[in-house]
Amino acid sequence: MSALQTIPRISLSWLLVAQVLVIIPHLGHLPPWIIVLWLGCAAWRIQIYRMRAGYPNAWAKAGLIVAVVVGVLLSRGSLIGLDAGVVVLIAAFVLKLLEMRSRRDALVLIFLGFFAVVTSYLFNDSMLAALFSLLPVTALLAALIGLQQSALAAQPLATLRLAGGLLLQAVPLMLLLFVFFPRMGPLWSLPLPKDRATSGLAESMTPADIAELSRSPALAFRASFEGATPPRSELYWRALTLEHFDGRRWSQAGAAQLERQPSWEKRGASLSYSIIMQPNSQRWLFALDVAETGLEGTRQLSDFRLQRRQPVERVLLYEAVSWPESLRQMQLDAASLRRNLQLPAEGEPRSRAWGAELARQYPEAEQLVAALLSHFNREPYAYTLRPPALGPNNVDDFLFETRSGFCAHYAGAMVFVLRAAGIPARVVAGYQGGEFNPSGNYVQVRQFDAHAWVEYWQPGRGWRSVDPTFQIAPERIELGLEEALAAEQSFLEDSPLSPLRYRQLGWLNQLRLSWDNLNYGWQRWVLGYQSAQQLKVLQRLLGRIDSRSLILALVGGGGLLLGLLALWLFKPWRRETDRQQRVFRAFEQLLARHGLRRQPGEGARDFAQRAARALPHQRAAIMAFAQAFEAQRYAGEAGSPRQLRQQLRALRRALPWRLSRIEGEH
Amino acid sequence: MIAQLKPRWNRWLARRIPAATSVRLNQRRIFIVPSRVGLAFMLALLLMLLTAINYQNSLAYGLTFLLAAVFVVAILHTYRNLAGLVLKAAGAPAVFAGEQARFNVRLESRERPHQAIALGWPPAPLQIQDVAGGGLSEVQLTVPAERRGWLRPGRLRVESRFPLGILVAWSWVDLDQAVLVYPRPLAGELPQSMGLDEDQEEGSRAHGQGADDYQGLKNYQPGDSKRRLHWKAYSRGQGLLVKDFANLSGRDPQLDFEQLGGDVETRLSLLCDWVLELSERQQPFALHLPGFHVQVAGGEAHREACLRALALFGVAR
Repeated sequence: MSALQTIPRISLSWLLVAQVLVIIPHLGHLPPWIIVLWLGCAAWRIQIYRMRAGYPNAWAKAGLIVAVVVGVLLSRGSLIGLDAGVVVLIAAFVLKLLEMRSRRDALVLIFLGFFAVVTSYLFNDSMLAALFSLLPVTALLAALIGLQQSALAAQPLATLRLAGGLLLQAVPLMLLLFVFFPRMGPLWSLPLPKDRATSGLAESMTPADIAELSRSPALAFRASFEGATPPRSELYWRALTLEHFDGRRWSQAGAAQLERQPSWEKRGASLSYSIIMQPNSQRWLFALDVAETGLEGTRQLSDFRLQRRQPVERVLLYEAVSWPESLRQMQLDAASLRRNLQLPAEGEPRSRAWGAELARQYPEAEQLVAALLSHFNREPYAYTLRPPALGPNNVDDFLFETRSGFCAHYAGAMVFVLRAAGIPARVVAGYQGGEFNPSGNYVQVRQFDAHAWVEYWQPGRGWRSVDPTFQIAPERIELGLEEALAAEQSFLEDSPLSPLRYRQLGWLNQLRLSWDNLNYGWQRWVLGYQSAQQLKVLQRLLGRIDSRSLILALVGGGGLLLGLLALWLFKPWRRETDRQQRVFRAFEQLLARHGLRRQPGEGARDFAQRAARALPHQRAAIMAFAQAFEAQRYAGEAGSPRQLRQQLRALRRALPWRLSRIEGEH
Repeated sequence: MIAQLKPRWNRWLARRIPAATSVRLNQRRIFIVPSRVGLAFMLALLLMLLTAINYQNSLAYGLTFLLAAVFVVAILHTYRNLAGLVLKAAGAPAVFAGEQARFNVRLESRERPHQAIALGWPPAPLQIQDVAGGGLSEVQLTVPAERRGWLRPGRLRVESRFPLGILVAWSWVDLDQAVLVYPRPLAGELPQSMGLDEDQEEGSRAHGQGADDYQGLKNYQPGDSKRRLHWKAYSRGQGLLVKDFANLSGRDPQLDFEQLGGDVETRLSLLCDWVLELSERQQPFALHLPGFHVQVAGGEAHREACLRALALFGVAR
C-alpha cells in the first residue's frame, strides 16, 4: 500500500496516546527539558491535526535537532552511553511524531516506540512496570492496525479489541519462547543505567554508616533454603571483612581481595539455599559461612567472602552451599597475622592497657574472648541507634564512658581489644537475620538488618566468629532490630509510611507479605530466568539439554500452539454458519442415500416434490420439511433451526433406512 | 532468468488456480509472506533481542518474544482475512478502444467479514474494499482499453495485509473475464460507390454526406435522429420535418472494407464510425469485410454483430 502515503487520522490519534504511555515510565530518569519539548511538540502536532498550524520547515527541524543535541550534552555530558542514549531515543520519538507525514514515518515511529518500551525495562524491571508496558504496546499495535484502510480501523474500540486479542493470542507462544529460547552471555559490554540509587554496605565502615543503613527498609536480598530455614540467630550473612583500622574507620585491607583460595575443611551438615540479590553496584555476594557457589565468574577470596568479577548491577540469582561448622585456615601466614594484629600507631591508651592486662590474665584466647563477652554482658552496656557523641579516642570513650552504641561499636571495640591482647581478629560486615515470609518460605533481608560482628584466630583452631552484640541485645539477634529498639522507638522513624512499621496490623501484614512474595516470584522466575536458572528448569522439563531437544521443543511446541490457535480461529466444525442451510444440507444428504440428488439450480420446493413423487410413502414428511424450510428462509417467517431439525428427524424416522441404495452413498 | 521462469510460473498457477468465473480463496490459492514492513519489523525485533542479550534483561526478552509471537499469530489472521472470500466475475461491458474498460467483480463473504481487500492488476494501484460478514460488495476495476479485440487483463491480484500490515497474503485469480474492445471510431468520408448519396444539407456533419436514397420528408416523431431534422423546412415554418430515406434493399449503404484506402486499423475505425452513424440514423446497411459479410439489416443486434466483427477482424480468437 505504498501508493497511499497519507496517514489515517485515527492512526495519528493512536500514536499520540501511545506516546504518552511510552514516555510515562521514562519520566523518572529524563531531564525536565525533554518533557517540555514533548508537550510542545505534542501540542504543535495536535494543531497540525486540527489544520491550525503547518508542519515544521527545514529550519525549524534543524533548530530542534541542534537544541536536542545541546540539551543532551548539557544534561548528560555526552551523546553516547545508556543515559544519554535513552534521552536521544525519546527525543527522536518526540520529534518524529511532529514531522510525521507519510505512512513510512508512522512505521518508523511505531518501531521507535517499541524500542523505547524495551529501554524502559533497563531502568525499571518490576512487575508493575512490566504490566504497565502492555498499555503502550497495545496502543502501538492499535496504531499499526489504524494504518490499514479498513472501516474497522476507524472504530477505536474494535481496533483496541483486535490489538488486545492479537496480544492475548500471542501469549502462549511468547511463554514457550521465553522458556526455551537459549540465553547467552552479553555479546559486548554495554553501559548500565547510572542513576539507579543503591544503598548497602560499603568497603569501609564507621558506626554512623551502619546507623544510616539501619534506617532504610530497602530490600538487600532474599534467601530461600532447601529444607527447613535455620533459626534467625544462626543467619549471619557475610559480605566482607574489615581488617584495617585507622582510629576512626574500619576498612578492608587490599590483600584480602586477592583471589587466593583459603584453606578450609568441610565439617558437619551443609545448608543449600538460593539468593536473589538486589543490585548494589558492589562485587561481593552474601552467604553464610563457609560458602561455595557455582555462579559463573565468582571466587572465594582469602577472607572467605564470595566475590564476583563484575559488580552486581541487576537482580542476581545464585545458589550456594554452606558448611557452618567448617574449620577455617588452620595456618596463617605472617602477612595475614600482621594485618589482623594491626592497630593505629597511637591513641586509645586505656583500651590498649586493658587488652594487655586481659592477655596476662587469660593466656588462652578462648578464655579471653569469653571474659570479654561476659564483661559486655555484665557491665551496664546499652544497645541504641542514638549513641552519644564520642571523642577522638572513640574506642576508649565507648568502652569506658558512654557504654552505649550498636553492633558496629561493639564489634570494632572488641576487635581493638583482642588485637591489643595479641589475638588476631577482624570485623565482619554483612547482614544478620531477616524476616521469614511463611507464604513464600523464604527470608527477606533488608538494609536495616545490616550487622557487624567479630572473627578471631587461634593457631590450630582457625577462625572463630563471635558476636558481642548478642551479649548486650540478644533480642536484636533473635527477634530483629525492631524488637531491640522497642523501648527507644527509633525503628524506621524516618519512614512513617513504611508498611513495615505496621506489622502489628494482621491483615496489612498479610497483604505486605503476599505482595512481597509475588515480587519474590517475579524476581526469581522472570527476572532471574537467565542461563543458570534456565538450565535448571530445562533439565527438569526435558531431561537432557542439547540443541536438538531444544529445537524440537520450540518447533514442536510452537506448532502445537499454533495448531490449537488455528482451530480456535477457523472453527472448521462450524464451516456452515448458516444453520438453516446446514439443516437443508443434511436433508439433501438424507435423500441422496435414497438415490435422490438435487440438480444444480433445482429449488427446494421442486426437489421436494420430485422426492415426494419418488418416495410416496414419505410424502408428508418431505413436504412438511420443505414447507418449513421455505417459510423460514424465504417468507421471513420466524422460526428456529431447531424446529427444522425436528422435521428432519421426523423424516429420518419415516424413511426406511434399510432400503437405502448403496449407490446413493457418497 | 526471471523471463525464463515466468512461463513456468504461469503454467503452475494455471494448474493450481484454474480460470473460473467464481473462485473461492482457500489454502491452495493463498500465498503469504512478510511484507516490506514486516521485514523492517523483524529488523526491529532483532535489535530488541540484541538489547535483551546484552543487558541480560528478562523483560526485554519477554517483549521481543511477545512481538515475535504476534508476528506469527498475524500470519493466521492475515490468512484468515483472505480465506473463504469468493470472487465472482460480474460482467464487463464492451468499450471502444481508447476508453477505460470496466470489469465488475463481486466479492462475497460466506462467513466472516473480510477487511481491506485489495484488488487490481499491478502495477496499477489496487482498489481497496471491505466485505461485511455474510455480505457482498461490488468493485469496478478499470483497465485502459488500448487496442481493439478481446481485452484480457490477465490474472487478478487479490491481496490483504490486514490486520498489521506486516504480512501480505495474496492470490492470483483468473476470473475468465474479457472485454470486447471495438475499434476507435474515426470520422471520415466514405467513397461514393458504397451507396451513400449526396446530402447537401447544412445540418449534416462535414463528412456525413448523404445516407442513401432520400425519399422525402416526414413528420418528426420522438426517437427520430436529430441529425436528420430538416432545418430548412423548420426555418420556413413548416414544422419539424425529418428527412426520410428509402429503405430499398440493394440501395442501402454497403460498407465495404475493400473499397477503402489506408491501413487496416484506419479502415476499421472509419467503418466503425459509420456503423455507429447509420445505426443512429436507424438506416439499414450491410457490412463487408474480407471473409465476413452481413446482409442489409438494422437494429441493435445488427449493430452489435457489425461492431463485433470489426473488433475481431483479423484477431486470433
